[in-house]
Amino acid sequence: MIQSQTHLNVADNSGARELMCIRIIGTSNRRYAHIGDVIVAVIKEAAPNSPLERSEVIRAVIVRTCKELKRDNGMIIRYDDNAAVVIDQEGNPKGTRIL
Amino acid sequence: MRLEKCWFCSSTVYPGHGIQFVRNDAKIFRFCRSKCHKNFKMKRNPRKVKWTKAYRRLHGKDMTQDSTFEFERKRNRPERYDRNLAENTLKAIKKIDKVRSNREAKHIEKRMKVKKSKERREAAKELEQSIHLVKPPSVLAQDPSLTLPKIKVKVSQQQTEENHAMEE
Repeated sequence: MIQSQTHLNVADNSGARELMCIRIIGTSNRRYAHIGDVIVAVIKEAAPNSPLERSEVIRAVIVRTCKELKRDNGMIIRYDDNAAVVIDQEGNPKGTRIL
Repeated sequence: MRLEKCWFCSSTVYPGHGIQFVRNDAKIFRFCRSKCHKNFKMKRNPRKVKWTKAYRRLHGKDMTQDSTFEFERKRNRPERYDRNLAENTLKAIKKIDKVRSNREAKHIEKRMKVKKSKERREAAKELEQSIHLVKPPSVLAQDPSLTLPKIKVKVSQQQTEENHAMEE
């Protein structure tokens, strides 16, 4: 259940450390984003000497949420934090390793 | 499809039940119901919570060492499907389950038996020491057994008189 102003950890080595969600991509006026949705985010914290800088607007895909993910086979999975992987316009990840 | 064990209470989690919690160090905790999940969130140690299997095994309430437990180990290698093997396994599961539950019942029975003998010993001791409370010492001198004498009470023969008050 990620919405605007939500801070997310970054789960790859693209250089960003923390993102803040600005907008959810998809239908207009969508309230919450879940695992697998693409969001527009601003970088709040970045690792030093990285290609990405603080206050850069980028896209990311959500990979972990504290809100439970319900699967069709009835399995319910909950993670410990909210995390996203930085992505470019086409959908390819910017980092090389997923953590 | 796999039947998992609840991390908190050690009961089996069937598919479609319970919640899985994935911690950031990639350890997966499976819970059978929200009771176990909530206890986990409260950071309770299952070894200290009385109704869990972990507590019962640790404190000797339930059987820990038995050969029937060897059959239920976690196997990560998928077996090639063999109809005979599958049939035999299903039969064996039923039988092993019966044997194990019998042994567990015996274990608990053995644990409970100690109380009965202890109660008898204590009752005998109490009778010896406190018989003077119910049996006067003069009667005790005549009849030294620890039982009370049988007293016969005459009942008046008024049962033939019928009571018509309650009849309609």
